[in-house]
Amino acid sequence: MNKSRNIALICSGLLAMGVLTIAQDPRTIVEEAQKRSTSMSQRYEGTLEVINKNSRITVKRWKYDRIGSHGTSKSVLRFTAPAEVKDVALLVVNHPDRSSDQWMYTPAIARERRIAMQDRSGRFFGTDFSFEDLEERDTSQFEYKMLGQESMEGANCWKIESRPKQSKVSQYTRSLVWIRQDNYVVVRIENYKKDQLVRRARYTDVQRVQNIWTPQTIEMFDARENSRTVLKIEKLQYNIPMKEEDFTIQALLRGN
Amino acid sequence: MKLFLLLSWPYLRRHLFRWILTVAGIVLGVAVFVAMHIANQSVHEAFADTVDRIAGSTQLQVSSGEFGFDESVLEKVQAVSEVGVAVPIIESTVETGLKDQGSLLILGVDMTGDRSLRQYEMEGSDDVNAIDDPLVFLAQPDSLLVTKEFAQRNGYHVNSRIPLYTIDGEKQFTIRGIMNSAGLTRAFGGNLAVMDIYATQVVLGRGRRFDRIDIRVRDGVTIAECQHAIQSALGPGFEVEPPSSRSQHFEALMRSYSMATTISSLFALIVGMFIIYNSFEIAVTQRRSEIGILRALGATQAQVRRVFLLESSIAGLIGSLIGAGLGVALAFGVAGSMGQLMEQTVGVAQRIERIAVDPALLVLAVLAGIGTSIVAAWIPARNAAAVDAVRALQKGKYQFISAGENRRRRIIGTVLFAVSLGTLFFASWKPAFYLGYVLMIVAALLFAPTMTSLLSRALRPILRRILPAEGTLAADSLIQTPRRTSATVAALMLSLAMVMGFGGITDAIHNSLSEWMDTALNPDFFVSPSANLTARSSTFPADIGPLIESVPGVDMVQLVRNARVIIDGTPIMLMSVETEKLRQKVRRVPVAGNIDEMYSAAAQGKGLIVSDSFQSLQKAHLGDMVRIPTPSGILSLPISGVVRDYSDMQGSIFIDRGIYKKWWGDNTVNIARVYAKKGINVPEVRQRVQHALDGRKRLLVLSNDEVRAYVFRLTDQWFSMTYNQIVVAVLVAVLGIVNTLTVSITDRRRELGVMQAVGGMRNQIRRTIWLEAISIGVIGLILGVALGAINIYYNLGMVRRDLGGLDLDYTFPSTIVLWLVPVILGAAFVASLGPAESAVRANLVEALEYE
Repeated sequence: MNKSRNIALICSGLLAMGVLTIAQDPRTIVEEAQKRSTSMSQRYEGTLEVINKNSRITVKRWKYDRIGSHGTSKSVLRFTAPAEVKDVALLVVNHPDRSSDQWMYTPAIARERRIAMQDRSGRFFGTDFSFEDLEERDTSQFEYKMLGQESMEGANCWKIESRPKQSKVSQYTRSLVWIRQDNYVVVRIENYKKDQLVRRARYTDVQRVQNIWTPQTIEMFDARENSRTVLKIEKLQYNIPMKEEDFTIQALLRGN
Repeated sequence: MKLFLLLSWPYLRRHLFRWILTVAGIVLGVAVFVAMHIANQSVHEAFADTVDRIAGSTQLQVSSGEFGFDESVLEKVQAVSEVGVAVPIIESTVETGLKDQGSLLILGVDMTGDRSLRQYEMEGSDDVNAIDDPLVFLAQPDSLLVTKEFAQRNGYHVNSRIPLYTIDGEKQFTIRGIMNSAGLTRAFGGNLAVMDIYATQVVLGRGRRFDRIDIRVRDGVTIAECQHAIQSALGPGFEVEPPSSRSQHFEALMRSYSMATTISSLFALIVGMFIIYNSFEIAVTQRRSEIGILRALGATQAQVRRVFLLESSIAGLIGSLIGAGLGVALAFGVAGSMGQLMEQTVGVAQRIERIAVDPALLVLAVLAGIGTSIVAAWIPARNAAAVDAVRALQKGKYQFISAGENRRRRIIGTVLFAVSLGTLFFASWKPAFYLGYVLMIVAALLFAPTMTSLLSRALRPILRRILPAEGTLAADSLIQTPRRTSATVAALMLSLAMVMGFGGITDAIHNSLSEWMDTALNPDFFVSPSANLTARSSTFPADIGPLIESVPGVDMVQLVRNARVIIDGTPIMLMSVETEKLRQKVRRVPVAGNIDEMYSAAAQGKGLIVSDSFQSLQKAHLGDMVRIPTPSGILSLPISGVVRDYSDMQGSIFIDRGIYKKWWGDNTVNIARVYAKKGINVPEVRQRVQHALDGRKRLLVLSNDEVRAYVFRLTDQWFSMTYNQIVVAVLVAVLGIVNTLTVSITDRRRELGVMQAVGGMRNQIRRTIWLEAISIGVIGLILGVALGAINIYYNLGMVRRDLGGLDLDYTFPSTIVLWLVPVILGAAFVASLGPAESAVRANLVEALEYE
């Protein structure tokens, strides 16, 4: 009896150690976080507030659609307000092995334009997001290092450093990512260029939508400009039917 | 120095007015020299400045002539690993609807990436790169950023509306941001606006084309490596060059004009030189007694020579300094005119905001002025040094040019004339041609005294017949003072020869242009996006052709697309035309080749036609291959014909429109040539066409007469210098004759005093002086016209070799000659008024005591 119990204890301990070991692997943690937020599609309406360093606020609204999984997804972001920017759209086609392809569509002249790689570090239409920040980060494009555990946004988090591999073109030399230990939601990302903080993203108001924990508010802070942009997500839906052909340049031109 | 104070200073004080006239000659020459060169340099620097400011941190630029290229080239360039940043650009001027603001330079950029190369410092924002709302700027195609200077000048602020003439007519644009004064915003004199590049494509009708791509190389890569990599990726149809090459291309376009201004300014200096020569020759003659006394007292020849050279140096220095200052003052106006002319003739806009005063140029001008003065005084100084002390004290003899001296001049003149004629056999070799020209001029100057003497004697009986007493006195004065008279006549002869040379060119060009317009520019009217036919920034789709052809009364529409391409570093005008249609309406005899074969080859895409100026400047011949860079590669075609064409000073190439569309992938046009049916009322057809185009695009319908008038107006502007030369010639006449007569009055004071003492009327004395002056004018005119007739030949040769390669027919400028006669004679008369009054008001007692 004692022998069996000892064996069971040892096995449990080993198992626990294994789990712990697995849980401490930063790549695994990130992959798990991505896995838990994976859906076939996503749709929401967003309200974007850009607050500059003089506290002046400009507000825009957009509709966001995404199809596919991490690394291979495609998304279309279409502005709905104010009137001057209505129907301006951005198409992002992500790739697992390289940077995404992005196009912007301007309805007033019925023209698309490609956002060149060199331009990805630029601000996304006056917001504090850069074009690169709108890409999805496939885990295969980064190296990860566990830095420990920290409390962030009121929850215990893993603190992980990620560095882009040589094959990945990025404006950032490294990023710090805080992932909640309870539900694997990313709550903060700090992006650095060498040792200087460039941008900080906070993910708050985490809610469970269709079994997927999702932050409903994303705040991006630009450390150089001392300005911030707040994106509030509304009417979030997952796994609704979408067509691949709606995520093409032709679709943009058609005005879908 | 002692001799100077002893000999020169008293003389200068006594004859201050004459000395001022002498200095005025140098002032004139140096002022024209300085003004022309500063203006030239300022125009060039204004363009280069705009290029540099717009370039920002651009290190390389990709272009394909003026045609631009398809957007797809951008991705190819961005894919080159050596490229750090590559952004597309469209650059063009558009007319504003604003009074007195002229044109606005539009820079079409992709704001998502352009900030890597150019800084846009926005007013009212601490954020260096913040436009009020970048998304609105991109989303609304009427968005503009303007400079603070432009905004303040017109009372604009953010959200103000501004009218611009686009391909769709006048449209309102919204100012979304105002740029602070900084590098970029000072381009084009502050008349710069930034637009989204894709909106610019719509505004200018560019389709899906860019003008160029601006590039910064990747860190760790050299410019040469990147240039090589891009060139390899794109092929030879593109130019990949630093921004400074655009300035070099502009310099090539300006070359003809620069050459013309150099010639003009040298002419002004030569004229000044003759005025000085004239003055010093007279001075030496007048002061022979003093020189004789000094020589008798032991002054050496070298000392005497130095005195006169010192005098001329001082005159040159003072004249040069004043002339330099005057030239700087005039330069701004000249630069403005030059800039406007360049915009109208070559279609390259620039705004002159300041003049480029190069201290080195001013020093050169002063040295040139002093040098000219010394050179001009050299012979008189030498003559002064050679004065025989005994003969110098003999009255009257000094005006005589010795038979020996005359013979020497004639012999040398004959030899030089013969050599000059000999060089005609080697005229195709440029040094021989110019040597012959110089020798001819020198020979003419050497013969001037002999011819003056002969013509003076020939005029004597005519003058006697007109007014027996006065005429005789006037003629005798000319005959007895050959040195004085011939110097003035030589200056006048040279000046008039230059005027006739320019006049000959002007007339030849007018005639050639008329003939060209009768044969080549013979449509009944032209459809163009702008009134300025040289503006090529706006194009329209080719479907305009069938639309116009469907208008009742229209017989044929020929579509043309033209722009410059760079061939061997030189911008050359490329014209794509519908050759088969052109063949039916334009039957001009080629300079080389057969007309039907020429058209056939071009229509089939097996050849191209070039202008005679292209042939001359590029030293090309019938059958030679011409390699033209295109976005699709190098287009090589043989020359199937050479025609006289004046579309562009650097030369033109004509290819078939089908070839153009195939190699450039561009279906747009910028001119439609429209022929009305025979017997139809052309103005009515024109109105119908205008009506058919109304509301569609901003297109102007210009009649043939309007185009002709525009071309001639441009030509007149180009040759406005000619008319300035006439003014200079008149001034030379006036200065020289005043000088001569003033000396004459002084020399003949006793004679004139005796006339009055024995009962001569004041009017008789006046008439004597007037007749003398008019006679000088007549002799100068005769010799000037004769030399001018020869000068026209050489000037036409210069034009063919160095000023645009134009092969012009010899045309004697009868109108100018007819106009010069009353002008020069009138000027001579006016020049004589002062001296004549001086003669009659002289104190009689003093005059009779004069010795």
